[in-house]
Amino acid sequence: MSDCILALAGNPNVGKSTIFNALTGMRQHIGNWPGKTVERKEGHVQVSGRTMTLVDLPGTYSLAARSLEEQIARDFIVRSQPKAVINVLDAANLERNLYLTAQLLETGARLILVLNMADVATSRGLVLNPHALSDELGCPAITMAASKGQGLAELRAALQGL
Amino acid sequence: MATATMALPNAPLRYTAPIEAELDYLVASFATMPGLAVYPARWLAIQLLEGDETLLAEAEQLAGPALTEALEASMARLQPHYGDELDVALVDQRYRFVHALAGKSLTRPAVPPLTLSDRIDQVVTHRWLGIPIFLMLMWLVFTLTTEVAGPFVDWVDDVIAGPLSGWATALLSLVGLGETWVEGLVVDGMLAGMGGVLVFVPVLLSLYFALALLEDSGYMARAAFVMDRLMHSLGLHGKSFLPMIVGFGCTVPAIYATRTLDSQRDRILTGLLVPFMSCGARLPVYVLIAAIFFPAQAGMVIFGLYVTGIVVAIGSGMLLRQTVFRGQPAAPFVLELPPYRLPTPRGVWNQMWERTAAFVRKAWTIILGTSVVVWLLLAIPVRGEGSFADAPLEDSAFATLAGGVTPIFAPLGFGSWETSGALMTGFVAKEVVVATLIQTYAVDEEEEAHEATSFGEDVLGIVGGFLAATGDALLAIPGIIGFDLAGDEEEEATPSGLRGAIERGFAASSGGHSALAALAFLVFVLLYTPCMVAVAAARHEFGPRWMWFSIVGQFVIAWLGALIVFQGGKLLGL
Repeated sequence: MSDCILALAGNPNVGKSTIFNALTGMRQHIGNWPGKTVERKEGHVQVSGRTMTLVDLPGTYSLAARSLEEQIARDFIVRSQPKAVINVLDAANLERNLYLTAQLLETGARLILVLNMADVATSRGLVLNPHALSDELGCPAITMAASKGQGLAELRAALQGL
Repeated sequence: MATATMALPNAPLRYTAPIEAELDYLVASFATMPGLAVYPARWLAIQLLEGDETLLAEAEQLAGPALTEALEASMARLQPHYGDELDVALVDQRYRFVHALAGKSLTRPAVPPLTLSDRIDQVVTHRWLGIPIFLMLMWLVFTLTTEVAGPFVDWVDDVIAGPLSGWATALLSLVGLGETWVEGLVVDGMLAGMGGVLVFVPVLLSLYFALALLEDSGYMARAAFVMDRLMHSLGLHGKSFLPMIVGFGCTVPAIYATRTLDSQRDRILTGLLVPFMSCGARLPVYVLIAAIFFPAQAGMVIFGLYVTGIVVAIGSGMLLRQTVFRGQPAAPFVLELPPYRLPTPRGVWNQMWERTAAFVRKAWTIILGTSVVVWLLLAIPVRGEGSFADAPLEDSAFATLAGGVTPIFAPLGFGSWETSGALMTGFVAKEVVVATLIQTYAVDEEEEAHEATSFGEDVLGIVGGFLAATGDALLAIPGIIGFDLAGDEEEEATPSGLRGAIERGFAASSGGHSALAALAFLVFVLLYTPCMVAVAAARHEFGPRWMWFSIVGQFVIAWLGALIVFQGGKLLGL
């Protein structure tokens, strides 16, 4: 059935559930609200004939297991060792979001960075350079505006390469 | 949008030389401990040096004392470099890495523009204006909900009581079951119970619409921020207010939302307070009772109940902090305020639809089931000479059962078997209170001369009624802000069957203070156990001991609250 497991990780309220719904065609509850997803949810993504299982993890600022949701996210990434972790970042608050990225890198997980809400970042005068990120970290970096459906095709293409 | 492709193999961040040396040492040691193969070795080494106690306990279980020895040896060698602040050094180096990374991948404008979001927040989260704005928005939500949904409620009610009951009766006659107890079960048990609850679908649609707008726009997170200052000054954790706001929709997800809190004690404390936040399922009871006893101020009464719920939650929280949960300082509250976003129609619709669909599902499962049980208990006579399904309701098994607990409610002004019975079944779900009230106060409407109409006429009537309701609802909107386009048509003065029966019931049990008794009843409904599912969630999250603490505590508080309203009101001469 499913040939690999992918995880969606990121800070709270960066659009993980929006991306999850867009990829899986499911309708998980989305809210402009940090902490909507307190349990991990699963769905399936079809990428050029392959079926991948996508797990939406609760949003966390770090991988230190202080609260139950941080522990859920961490245990999943460390113990289940998904094929890749799609790390969703709020492009408008990039630096703070990158702390989790640093910790994810330390787990040795294969990352796909998604700089979501690129439209908001642009409207605040921020200029993103995803190439610099992917050169530094050695993983794909995709700019996205998930609520407008922009960047999803690029993410799917990145999944094809797995 | 652009994709940048891979250039280098994974190049994780490097720490300073002494730390890297110890990481290498630990990774090599871990390799000799087979139990630790489940963890990425370098990650485990970093976490343990950083002082992650949960993980250390887990790893020690797997690897035994060899791990502890290796870790202590590493720590001892790092001591001269970093003293007791190794964890700080690690976090600091990670931040430096992140800062450098952000510097390379992001160019900031010289002067950060003050966004519209910031400007709205200057007003909405203002030190003094914040709470009044929050209360005003809530008031708007509930007024909108009751005013706009009102005409639709009447329409659904007409459809269920008229054509639907007519069709059911006709169908039963066709198969030869007309005028039998089966007709009673279907029309008075199932249709009355379930229908009585389904009537409130428009109210809930409006409520969930308003909540979806507030949540998706980002305002709800501000409400938590605004309330934090108040909660903090009372010694409560501000983060607790987030699950509490979720509780406006439904208590069950709110109990699960306590998982966002850092300590188990904060989680339990918040889990105990969440049920006081008035959930959507309680709204039908408010609307029914308020429409009967306070037709002119229904919106105000309902708003008052919601505020009472918040006040009781905060008060109970303070009390618990100083007793059961003594001696834990409230941690500082850090909440990221999401930017304001224009709610998307699809997002709002999904939320409305999901929550309302859950309500409808509940109507034909739990509520239908309970209605049938109540109908059966009402049909079985245990006194007098009536036979099955043909005896005065006061002689039924249900009345006898409920009559047993009426003394508990007598001091609160609603010690009748009908209300006691409704509160008993209300433990299952709050909507059931409405269903049971309708069933127990059922008056023989003297075969309301349902004129023989054809199917086509019925359908036309339903559609026409819907259009009229839409018109009325639109006319009601300006009324909320003070204009009354609909013209002050007084509600029909002659109380309809159910309305009159409930009015008489409350008047009899309260010694004439029926409005006070109705208010006390609403306060009781607000404060006691929300539903079986919430109880199950509390048990799942906090264990049976806290579940019982919660059930008993809520019952006592509900009883006291209702007592204060009823007896206090009487003392004041209301």
